Amino acid sequence: MRHRKISSLSVSLLVMVMLVASAGQAAAAKPTVGGTCKQCHQPQANVIRGTLVGISNQFKTIQVAVGSLVWVVKFGDGIAVTGAEKLETIPKDKEIGVTFTGDEKNPYAVGVSVKPPAKIAPEKLARVEDVQKLVAAGPEKGDFVIVDSRPRPRYLEGHIPFAVSLPNDKFDQAKDAVLPKDKGRLIIFYCAGVT
Amino acid sequence: MLSPDSARRAEAAGYTNVRIFHEGMPAWKKAGNLVVSEPESLKEFIGKDISHVLVDLRPAKQAAAGHIQGAFSVPAESLASAKERFPADKSAPIILYGEGIPAEAFRTVRGWGYKDTTLLNGGIASWQKIGGLLLQGEMPSSIVYVWKPRPGEVLIEDFKNYVEKKDPGVLILDVRDKDEAMNGMLRGAINIPASEIQDRAKELPKDKLIVTHCVTGIRAESAYEDLKELGFKNIKFLNAVIQIDKDGKYEITKK
Repeated sequence: MRHRKISSLSVSLLVMVMLVASAGQAAAAKPTVGGTCKQCHQPQANVIRGTLVGISNQFKTIQVAVGSLVWVVKFGDGIAVTGAEKLETIPKDKEIGVTFTGDEKNPYAVGVSVKPPAKIAPEKLARVEDVQKLVAAGPEKGDFVIVDSRPRPRYLEGHIPFAVSLPNDKFDQAKDAVLPKDKGRLIIFYCAGVT
Repeated sequence: MLSPDSARRAEAAGYTNVRIFHEGMPAWKKAGNLVVSEPESLKEFIGKDISHVLVDLRPAKQAAAGHIQGAFSVPAESLASAKERFPADKSAPIILYGEGIPAEAFRTVRGWGYKDTTLLNGGIASWQKIGGLLLQGEMPSSIVYVWKPRPGEVLIEDFKNYVEKKDPGVLILDVRDKDEAMNGMLRGAINIPASEIQDRAKELPKDKLIVTHCVTGIRAESAYEDLKELGFKNIKFLNAVIQIDKDGKYEITKK
């Protein structure tokens, strides 16, 4: 009996601890970073990062989708916009960051920044003309390797001349057999743009 | 995006001179550049009866003495005057082979607007290297081309019906990456990225028709192939461009 009492007491203690913990989580539960924004941004208490759902000029609110949740943030005429001419020109579904004051129940937007384009550094980009020149010179003279990252059947169906096949999902297993020994050689990767 | 990811991995492996041709294959083809295909692909086209036009550019006598199954004879020197014999459908995959690298013939046919024209890499020799046989005898000179769906390809109309009618016997499988699917999915669809299909196939029912889709059909077909290999019998894929918004509204365009 004594044992049972102790154990039931410890169970109720445990439940209390869990309740407190989950209450604490619930207070901080509204996520501020969603979707692709998570790849580069850590959560911040006063910045909401997500995609633009819409702007209501009538109610003076910005709606931002963060994952499956939508924040509705009030704004005033003094709102600072970076990366776009004005609020109205930001396209829907664009990744934005909204800096706000107040708490999450009554957030007030002080600034909106629009995600800048191009994730790839310009010096790393090859253009059609660059690849044309290399192909015309040939791999011997041009000293390059062109790598097709698409699934192998797509490569077999049609690829850039001299390109070798190294599907992205087989990269780690097959890289040693396909990529050159010389780590300084020019390697150009391509795929189908968006698939 | 496959190529930026591969480029990152190459840099992580120590490669110091890495570039990304980000516009990739669509831009390369659009600019009319030479595209080569491999004999393995031709073998699959023939084996699976996938619609294509195979053209033997060698002199008629030489072609008759040994050519690839299904090839039409259009000697290179008379190609320019053979335009009318090519199919009306400019999306027909046209595969050319001849002596050496018949780049001139490629440019001619590509110039007529056949955007899926390729040169068979290595010609007859590479065909024989993979065990391909040569046929002898007369070859048809009038080109016949009838479009057929690829094996497993669902008709766009059927796909729309599956989505609209919410048939309990059909599962729409979205194989795009999670972050793409988060921006809007078809109603009733489930999301398993193409790269995770092999590990997560046990989550899928065996008693339903599974129809895969991505954005352009490329990953959808690769998921289709994976599932087939894993023993799923009743699968199809959408080989078209599909855009889906947050409310599940969608638009499908033929490639």
